[in-house]
Amino acid sequence: MMAQSSIKKNHIDIILQHRRRTKTIRYCLYALLLLLVLWSIEITIIKDTDWERIGGLGTILKGIARFFPPDLSLIKYLFKPTVETFMIAFLGTMLAILLAIPVVWFGAHNITPSRAITYPIGRAAMTLSRSVHEIVWALIFVSAVGLGAFPGILAVSMRSIGFISKVSAESIEDVDRRPIEAIKAVGGNTFQVILFGIIPQVIPVFIGNAIFQWDINIRRATIMGLVGAGGLGLTLERQLLMYNHQGVTTVIIAILLIITLGEIISYYARKAVI
Amino acid sequence: MKSDKKENFRSSIHTTLSDPPRTWSRFKYPQSLIRYILYLVIFVFVVYSLEYLNVPVGRFFTMFGRLGDMMTKKYYPPDTSYILNKDYLRYVLETVQMAYLGALFGILFSIPISWLASFNVTPSRRWAYPVGRFIIMACRSVHEMIWTIIFVIVIGFGMFPGVIALTMFSIGFAGKLFSEEVEAIKLGQVEAIRSTGANPFQVFVYAVLPQVRVAWTGISIYTWDSAFRAATVLGYFGAGGMGWYLKESVERLETLRVSAILLSIICLVVVSEVASAWARNKISKMK
Repeated sequence: MMAQSSIKKNHIDIILQHRRRTKTIRYCLYALLLLLVLWSIEITIIKDTDWERIGGLGTILKGIARFFPPDLSLIKYLFKPTVETFMIAFLGTMLAILLAIPVVWFGAHNITPSRAITYPIGRAAMTLSRSVHEIVWALIFVSAVGLGAFPGILAVSMRSIGFISKVSAESIEDVDRRPIEAIKAVGGNTFQVILFGIIPQVIPVFIGNAIFQWDINIRRATIMGLVGAGGLGLTLERQLLMYNHQGVTTVIIAILLIITLGEIISYYARKAVI
Repeated sequence: MKSDKKENFRSSIHTTLSDPPRTWSRFKYPQSLIRYILYLVIFVFVVYSLEYLNVPVGRFFTMFGRLGDMMTKKYYPPDTSYILNKDYLRYVLETVQMAYLGALFGILFSIPISWLASFNVTPSRRWAYPVGRFIIMACRSVHEMIWTIIFVIVIGFGMFPGVIALTMFSIGFAGKLFSEEVEAIKLGQVEAIRSTGANPFQVFVYAVLPQVRVAWTGISIYTWDSAFRAATVLGYFGAGGMGWYLKESVERLETLRVSAILLSIICLVVVSEVASAWARNKISKMK
């Protein structure tokens, strides 16, 4: 016991020294972060803002007051775009599910047809789809297929492929190996292994994520109209162009309602799947 | 009841022995019926919404050719000199700063909000919990672009409205994940601290924060990553940053510049994603 403690004393010294060093490093890091924040605040907020236009608190409050009360006469025009938004999100998610299947197949390390060629393609597709913002996708598709709900559907689906396929590919990669071996043992080929050994294991994850994405896609679909695809965004854009800020509030309330509805549905749907 | 079950079981054995089903199926009668009805409903809804939205489905297949045509003819040699000039690079830096500040403020605000909005540690389930939930819900459901438009209207063009919009976005994003993390903690420590007579604030600082610190750090990095992704296009609606250049080029139909800007956005986002994945990986290993 005594001998042990004398050996350990040395250890403790080393640990204390190490701790002191990490503490210094940590405080330096904090100071650096603080400086970075101050610098960013100086450039983005202090220098780049037109403080005279903002004026005092009174003008800001006046600016906010322009949004109230909500313009209730708009309600009767909101029904159709709300339904459209809902449908854009729904169709976008459906298309994303279809398009995600090959991406998952390519991008999951253990079932990809060729690790040298198709695996990087699948991974790149996932990253590309997630990294480009839905507004950019919408701009691309509006110029490719014209105005209307169709580019909105495509943009929404392109944006959600990445998430669905990334999570599903990860769950395929740590799938339980025993059913696969069992199917191989009875003479199943690769296709049968995937169909009967892997898909039943990952389908709840896949569907759960698709529902989750559907929920987010409603959010995305609400802004598709801002760049020329249909839905509630188009109504919002129209109100903005008319400087009818009270109408903007009404549209935003409609958006809140539709998203709350979507969240409730997706909560119960996910509960039913998992 | 019991004998009934037995009878049923016996008869099922009997039928299987005498008449084995030709193919194996995963779902038996009532389940399979519900399943087919569900598929049918989804299919009908798809067709109906395609009809309702007037979607030219035929164009989906010709789209690829046109897209490829467009990419090669109009967008192809991206104007790289445009994205490498000094002004543009300064805007890129400003975008990074905007995202950084927005995410930082959002995370700072969402710490108290997620405290209110976690059901297990909230100071009052009657009023604080719904208030916290509502704030997170409202921030989350209004898209960041709509926040930008609102703040641009209220306080004018520039990066400040962008920062505020990203703050709102990050409150919704981080607040939800933060409170989910808090709702999954072990309540033993909370009980222990509470039994020493601590008030709710002390309980939060000494029992909750140490448990969620690592997870929250990871979430914060993820929030920054998402905020940056959003920040690249915030300028499209009047907040500062690269999005402003994007709007300018799109409206002037300078497609080569548009493709160059898109390229730069993709590169930057991929870099930030790789960095954030690396950092999150490192942090989760520290746990």
